Amino acid sequence: MQTLKLAMRNIFRNTRRSVLTIMLIGFSLSALILTDAITRGMLLLMTQNVTQTFSGEAQSHRKGYRQNLDIDLYFTSDLLEKQLHQDPAVKFYTSRVISGAMITSSHNVAAGLIYGVDAAGESKLGKTQQALIQGNYLTGSDHAASDILASDNITSDLITSDGEMLMGYAMAELLEADIGDRIVVSLSEVDTGELTQALFRISGIFKFGIREFDNNVAFVNINPFRSVLGLKANQSHEIAFSFIDPEDAKKPDLDIFKQLNNETIETLGWLELNKEISMIIEMSSYASLIVGIVLFSLTVLGVINSMFMSIYERIYEFGVFLAIGTRPVALALLILCEALLISLISCFFGMLLSFAIGSWTGVHGIPFGNVEFSGIAISSNILTQLHSSQFINFPLYVILLTLGAAIYPAIFAARIAPTEALQRSL
Amino acid sequence: MPSKRSTISAKLSDKQPATAAPRTDQAIITTRSLCRYYGDDEHNKVKAVDNISIEIRPAEFTAIVGPSGSGKTTLLHLLGGLDDVTSGSVELAGTNIADMSGAQLADFRRDHIGFIFQAYNLIPVLSAAENIEYIMLLQGINNNTRKQRVEQMLAQVGLQGHGNRRPNKLSGGQQQRVAIARAMASKPDIILADEPTANLDSKTGIALLDLMKTLNETNNITFVFSTHDEKIMNRASRLIHIEDGQVIKDENR
Repeated sequence: MQTLKLAMRNIFRNTRRSVLTIMLIGFSLSALILTDAITRGMLLLMTQNVTQTFSGEAQSHRKGYRQNLDIDLYFTSDLLEKQLHQDPAVKFYTSRVISGAMITSSHNVAAGLIYGVDAAGESKLGKTQQALIQGNYLTGSDHAASDILASDNITSDLITSDGEMLMGYAMAELLEADIGDRIVVSLSEVDTGELTQALFRISGIFKFGIREFDNNVAFVNINPFRSVLGLKANQSHEIAFSFIDPEDAKKPDLDIFKQLNNETIETLGWLELNKEISMIIEMSSYASLIVGIVLFSLTVLGVINSMFMSIYERIYEFGVFLAIGTRPVALALLILCEALLISLISCFFGMLLSFAIGSWTGVHGIPFGNVEFSGIAISSNILTQLHSSQFINFPLYVILLTLGAAIYPAIFAARIAPTEALQRSL
Repeated sequence: MPSKRSTISAKLSDKQPATAAPRTDQAIITTRSLCRYYGDDEHNKVKAVDNISIEIRPAEFTAIVGPSGSGKTTLLHLLGGLDDVTSGSVELAGTNIADMSGAQLADFRRDHIGFIFQAYNLIPVLSAAENIEYIMLLQGINNNTRKQRVEQMLAQVGLQGHGNRRPNKLSGGQQQRVAIARAMASKPDIILADEPTANLDSKTGIALLDLMKTLNETNNITFVFSTHDEKIMNRASRLIHIEDGQVIKDENR
């Protein structure tokens, strides 16, 4: 207790120096917490962009499908849908049919990817509906499919219908197409590979902010598209689903992943599906580590400098301490106690500061402009993500590092020869 | 540490003639051929203390006198175990302190020796009472005894009611009185004072010496102090004159 009392009083002997040291450590801690909070916010935003925009948090495909999007690698999806429906961890799911196609307007032609989607399921899982900037969302009507199948009176191979289509704004610009314009889609049927064509009418234009989607993708109702491709009503290329707890998507041991992985079907979480994101997350953790090392190095040097200044200032006093019977180890303990108290006060200050700033930016966000990183758009403000671990781990590191930095000054103080210390004039 | 008796042989150099004072069991401090040299080079060697053999007996009020640089402070530091001896021995209360480790010496000083320095004696962040109490905390004395003894010490040095003041709120003379009280608080065998009046005006210095003398006479406390002030040295009952690190005269008065 006496050592603590002495340490506390010693800290406030030179208020200016102590405040500067506390600010140095406190600002470093808050910078570290805020860097981590921004990184977490950015990753969350990227993750949300990936998972909530369209792809969902997990997807099922026929094995090998993802490598080259072979339309022949379809699967019977009704059993999987049933399993997903029954699993309490699953929030939403939707089936998709996907095919590459030549998309032609009256002005231009473009290669693209056509997604046959379930309008209702898709609007729950992703942001396709919210991404519309013009026109209307898919009605989900499969009436057109019947029409397509019944269109035997068409003289050519062209199958006509007024099937709804949503098109990316960039593709629409390329095709010089607008709402209500007719679009001819040319593609191959599954299994037979026979060329077939279908007529759609643009009902909506979307803008995801993801270049790959805006340039290359069009959405149509799933059942008509199944018909175009020659698929049965229960056959799909992809099932995308989301979880009640998004963290479940990162748990490959989850029951649903076990159930939906077999000899022919592979079901993967978004981290596995988006290797770029995994790499970005890994890279960001290294970035945080580097920032941490730089900040902590500065802090350590600052603490050592401050402690040595404090020791040199009190060297005569230490001589008196030793002369009257204080053990050298007790002097070392005093220095360590001072460092501990400084680090505790600094942490309190740093946590308070970072909490205040982090809470504000957590609500109002940090504007980053419209940037796209590795094909992932970050268009909205980054909301900093404060987490309890930032207020436990980082302060703990700061305290340990401050104590570590104080060891050398403490040893120095303990080794002061009393007779030499007493000869130092103030 | 007080139980450790003189089992450690004196380190006598061949070059140092054995001029040890005759041993008396009553002596509190005995030095034998005590030397403290600085510098390794034979030509540049500084003999701060050179072959000093003295005995200090209980309740003596001894002044070590000599001009500046004569070795007074070094001798006091050697007597108090603050400095390492080059050769010879220092026995305090029958224990040779020359070969003790740092921690052993710290404990020994805590229990057997009181120190008063020229100035800046006190821990500035502690009040007068806390400064006196600090050494008793090191000794592990219980709270009640500590508080009683602090009051007693403050009374003895005439500073009742000043216990809560920090050193910077006390005059130089008052600070030295607190230093005396702190030195006595641990009930040491001897109090060593290195020019305790050097930073005080002559009136305050004499008053302080009178206080030390009174405490010496009433409490039978052994005082050894250094000075080069003639007014101060006149109050000592024994004067040890040193010059160039050697005792040139030892007189009882």
